[in-house]
Amino acid sequence: MQHLLTDEQKAKHTEFKDFVSLHVEPFANEWDREQRIPDPVISMLAKSGYLGCSLPKKYGGQGWDIVTFGLLNEALGRGSSSLTGVLTVQAMVSMALLKWGTEAQKGKWLPPLAKGEMIAAFALTEPGVGSAIQSLATEFAHGSKSDSLILNGGKKWISCAQLAGVFLVFGMLEQRSVACLVPRETPGLEIEPIHDLMGFRSGGLAQLTFNDVEVPSANIVGKPGFALSHVAPVGLQYGRISTACSGLGLLRGCFEESVAYAAVRKIAEKTVGELGMIRSLIARMGSDLEAGTFLCHNACRSEQDHVPEAFEKTLTAKYFTSRAAVRAASDAVQIRGASGCHESSPVSRYYRDSKIMEIIEGTTQIHEELLGEIFVGQAGQVPQMIRSS
Amino acid sequence: MTSLNTGQENGVKETVKRFILSSINIAHLGDDDNLFESGIVNSLFTVQLMTFIEKTFAIEVGMDDLDTENFKSLNAATAFVVRKNGRRGG
Repeated sequence: MQHLLTDEQKAKHTEFKDFVSLHVEPFANEWDREQRIPDPVISMLAKSGYLGCSLPKKYGGQGWDIVTFGLLNEALGRGSSSLTGVLTVQAMVSMALLKWGTEAQKGKWLPPLAKGEMIAAFALTEPGVGSAIQSLATEFAHGSKSDSLILNGGKKWISCAQLAGVFLVFGMLEQRSVACLVPRETPGLEIEPIHDLMGFRSGGLAQLTFNDVEVPSANIVGKPGFALSHVAPVGLQYGRISTACSGLGLLRGCFEESVAYAAVRKIAEKTVGELGMIRSLIARMGSDLEAGTFLCHNACRSEQDHVPEAFEKTLTAKYFTSRAAVRAASDAVQIRGASGCHESSPVSRYYRDSKIMEIIEGTTQIHEELLGEIFVGQAGQVPQMIRSS
Repeated sequence: MTSLNTGQENGVKETVKRFILSSINIAHLGDDDNLFESGIVNSLFTVQLMTFIEKTFAIEVGMDDLDTENFKSLNAATAFVVRKNGRRGG
C-alpha cells in the first residue's frame, strides 16, 4: 500500500509508529489493568498535535489530510484501542462542530479541542437506545429564560466521558432532534464512571445523568430537526474512519505478534511457523491485513476527496476490519497458546478489545443492514435486460 | 437575481437527477416528487446528496442552509444550487 502514499504521508506514518513503540505499546497492558490512561499520556498526544490533527490551522489544528488521520489511528490502534478512542471521539465532535457549528461556536470550542487542552465526548447512546437512534429519550425543553434550554435524561457507554470537558449531547426538543454542547461543569450533570468492561478498559467510559441541566440555546449545533440527519452522520463518519483504522492497527498487531512468535517458538525440531495449520491462520490474517489496508485507504481518500461514496466506503472498511480484527485476535491467541491467554501478552488484550470494534460506531448488524440496502439499491440500477439474463 | 441562465439551470437539474437516480432504486423521478416523504431514500442519502452538491457545484452547505425545503425535491435542490451560485457570483 506504500505506493499509494505520498512521501509526507509515509514519513508521518513512520513518526506515528515510532511514537507508539516508544510511548504506547510498553504501557498499554498496564493502562488496561488500571482501567485508565494517565493524564501525561493524553498531554503527550496533545503536544504532538494528534488530538486536533484534522482541524484547520486557523483553529489551531494541524490541517492534516484524512489519509494521514487514518494512518495515525492505525498506528495508535496497534498499541492501544483505548487510547485511540480518545482520538475517535475528539474527531467526532470536532468535525461535526467544524461542519455545522456557528462561527461563534467554532471560535470558542475548536481552538481548545485542536490543541488538546480539552477532550470532547459524543453523547448519543442511551441506556435504552443504542442503534435505534431515532428513539432518543433525552429531552430538551425551553427554559424560563428565552435563551436557555433545560436538559433531562441520561446517556450510557459514552467513550472518554471520564476525561471530557465538553459533551455533544443528542436529544429531542419538541419532537425535533437536537445536538447541543454541554460543558462538564454544568450544574445538574452527573458523570458516573463505568468500570470492568471486557475491552476498551482504559477508554474512560461513563454514564451521564442530566437533572434539569440548563444550557444556553446558543450551544445548539446545527438547527433543531437536523441533529440525527446531518450532525450525527458527520461525527459518525469520522468515528467509523477512526475505528476502521484502529481495527486495522489491532489486526497488524495480531499479525506481527503471530509471525514473530511462529518464527522462533519450537515444537520438537520444528518452529510453529513450519506447521501447516499455523500457516493457514497466518495466511488468513496477512491477507485480511492487506485487504483492510486498501479498504481503509479507500475510505480515507474518499472522505478527503469529499465524494458521496465516502460514507459507503467507510462503512465497508469499518465492517471489514472490525470483523477481521476479531478473527485475527482469536487466531493470535490460538497461535500463542497458554501464553496468549495471560494478561502479560498483548494478544489477550487484542482479543478483548477487538470485539468492541464490532459494537462501537454502529454494530456489525447495522453495517450489514446499511450496506445491504446500498448494494441492493445499486443493483437495482442495472438495466432490466441484464438482470433478467 | 441569480448568475445562472436557464440552460445552466437545466444542466444543474440534470446533474442532480442523474445522481439521485444512481443512488436510489427508482425508475422515474418527477421534478417536484418529495424525496423524504415518499420513503424512497435511506438514512445516508440526505448527507450523500448534500456532499454531492457541495463537491459538484463547489458550494459549501452550512448551518444556515439546514432546511428540508432546500433538498426535498429535484426542483428544490436545483433552486438551492442556483441561489448559492448567485450569492457567490453576486
